[in-house]
Amino acid sequence: MASKTKLEGQNTAPPAHLAVRGIHKRFGGVHALRDVDFEVARGEVMALVGDNGAGKSTLMKVLAGAYGADEGAFFMDDKPVTLSSPNDASGLGIQIVYQDLALCENLDVAANLSLGDEPVKAGWRFLPRLLRPLDALEMEVKAREAIDKLQVRTLQSVRAKVEGLSGGQRQAIAIARAVGTESTVVMLDEPTAALGVAQTRQVLEVVKRLRETNHAVVYISHNMRDIFEVADRITVLRHGGNVATYTTADTTPDAIVVAMTRGLDDEGAGNAA
Amino acid sequence: MRRDGKMTFLDRFRAMRETQFGAFVPVLLALGAIWGYFGLALPAYDVLTGEAESFRAIFLSPRNIYNLFMQSAVIATLAVGITIVLLLGEIDLSGAATAGVCAALLGVLVLVGVPGWAACIIVMGVGILMGAFQGLLVAYVGIPSFVVTLAGLLGYQGLMQKILPTGNLNVGDPFVRGIARVLIPDMWGLVLAGVVVVLFALASLRKQAQRRMKGLELDSPLVLWGQVAAFGVIVVAVVLTLNAYRSLPLLLVLLIAITALLGWVVTSTPYGRSLFAVGGNPESARRVGMKTQRIRVSGFAIVGLMAAIGGIFGASRFGSVSYTAFAGGSLLLEAIGAAVIGGTSLFGGRGSVWNAILGALVIGSLGNGLDLTGASAADKLMVSGAILLLAVAIDALSRTNTGGR
Ligand SMILES: Nc1ncnc2c1ncn2[C@@H]1O[C@H](COP(=O)(O)OP(=O)(O)O)[C@@H](O)[C@H]1O
Ligand SMILES: [Mg+2]
Repeated sequence: MASKTKLEGQNTAPPAHLAVRGIHKRFGGVHALRDVDFEVARGEVMALVGDNGAGKSTLMKVLAGAYGADEGAFFMDDKPVTLSSPNDASGLGIQIVYQDLALCENLDVAANLSLGDEPVKAGWRFLPRLLRPLDALEMEVKAREAIDKLQVRTLQSVRAKVEGLSGGQRQAIAIARAVGTESTVVMLDEPTAALGVAQTRQVLEVVKRLRETNHAVVYISHNMRDIFEVADRITVLRHGGNVATYTTADTTPDAIVVAMTRGLDDEGAGNAA
Repeated sequence: MRRDGKMTFLDRFRAMRETQFGAFVPVLLALGAIWGYFGLALPAYDVLTGEAESFRAIFLSPRNIYNLFMQSAVIATLAVGITIVLLLGEIDLSGAATAGVCAALLGVLVLVGVPGWAACIIVMGVGILMGAFQGLLVAYVGIPSFVVTLAGLLGYQGLMQKILPTGNLNVGDPFVRGIARVLIPDMWGLVLAGVVVVLFALASLRKQAQRRMKGLELDSPLVLWGQVAAFGVIVVAVVLTLNAYRSLPLLLVLLIAITALLGWVVTSTPYGRSLFAVGGNPESARRVGMKTQRIRVSGFAIVGLMAAIGGIFGASRFGSVSYTAFAGGSLLLEAIGAAVIGGTSLFGGRGSVWNAILGALVIGSLGNGLDLTGASAADKLMVSGAILLLAVAIDALSRTNTGGR
């Protein structure tokens, strides 16, 4: 607890859009999150870093409502909210792009983007919604818009099957799906882990677009180069607890690596915010 | 996967199968090959070797085509249903046995005086329940569908024997017999075909116009008109051929109508989309809030319904219900084989009910052709096995991301 972050003490920090305080999460005997504070503002990319097992994915799943927190408070624009199910989260505009993208490879891009919320034609009220005719054209129009908004230039057709796409394109589609709903917070769990250089570029561009469209972006990654390229601030977790939150412009990759591996108990954390 | 512009033959093949009508190409080729072999090559060979004085295309005669369609109809009905669970990535081995139970029940019901139409409705309800029961075990108890439906196959075979202790029952009910016996008058058959083709053309044009209005990618006119022309030629040719022997039987009209309805549900409704989603990536379907368990149960219920309809068709065509014609015979494997030969993937998430009809024709044509040439039952089994293996191999190869490749 010695290294508890002083988020409140920052004068440079933008007003938080989503904030959590004092989150605890236990899996049986494993205390995966210990008194974690975290926040992200709109129009900001907040990186979340830490060693393997530090609790990054767990924190993200708590924020997405996939795991219920054992203790802790949630705030949206400073108002307390309850967040205990994925439905709560999407109701609050929080969307997560999982490490496994969970796209249906056998379906085309447009179908994936509207999966579970397919537009149906007007009328046909005598049929249950599940059996009303799909508005396939509306689906394509929406998909086109979502893809254009993220400027995924390499994608030729929204009628292409996902199985034929590259890793970067798939990642972009998974992100587009999260953004397509009325979301204000988009969380990405290691989106570039399996990608090559060019594909990574593409995803980083998409992340930057999300910031420009005034989303609050949470970005988990191991890659310092990527983080220092896209992130505005960096939250470091270690052994399930906060180490510190840094402003990217005021720190260095070396300092972050030291904070990740050793915490703040020595000179490595000189410029913690 | 390859993205450097160079395409191997396999890549081209996969790309072709991904297009809307490309998925029909392999099964149509297979059908063409079989018809060419039995209908043209064999008779020509006989003439050349002097075994026959003149060229006699028995296989391609209107009479044989008519019989072929009727023989394949029951297989096709079951295969259409099985396609639904294959889309979900499941399998149903109990379809033929369900059809047997339903047919036997139908026979008993009309025997004790239940009106034919009422008996048909009751039997369809029973089929749905038999399918849904297995679906519940798969979706909620979590038993693999292979095991559940294998147990179902055995149990329902036994049930059929209980209902028909003698193993055979004649069905004389005029309503039930009428399904296979009633013929659409030649004229009306052609009118029906014309209407269907015009509607298909209008729907295609309307869709294209809407795409243009919304500024979406357009299908090339060649593809568009090619599809309409191919569809029209096939429909009219089938009706003319059937008219040349007897007429278009009501049974085939019913089969096509049911398949069209189911095909529409599968491709053009949110429910159909959810079938593909669950079959393609259940985790993804779950995360977007689809009720995957209910969808699974409904898929098995549809197989049950189609099996019951197959049972009714069979009873109508044979005028009797026998153990060997359904539960105990080769119908089970023929129906699954038809779905797979049609091009529906055993790995889930890919396929169409129309392919099942074509697959059933392939199976039916093989049996019919081999019968005509006097092949033994052993030959038929071996050839069918080889064709099935070929179809599954094509399925495996056309999956883009099989880990094993
Ligand atoms: N579902 C779970 N059940 C039990 N333990 C878990 C579960 N998820 C995560 N953990 C544990 O919580 C800790 C943090 O995991 P995780 O959040 O995945 O770390 P990271 O994403 O930072 O690598 C690890 O010790 C991990 O073993
Ligand atoms: Mg993780």
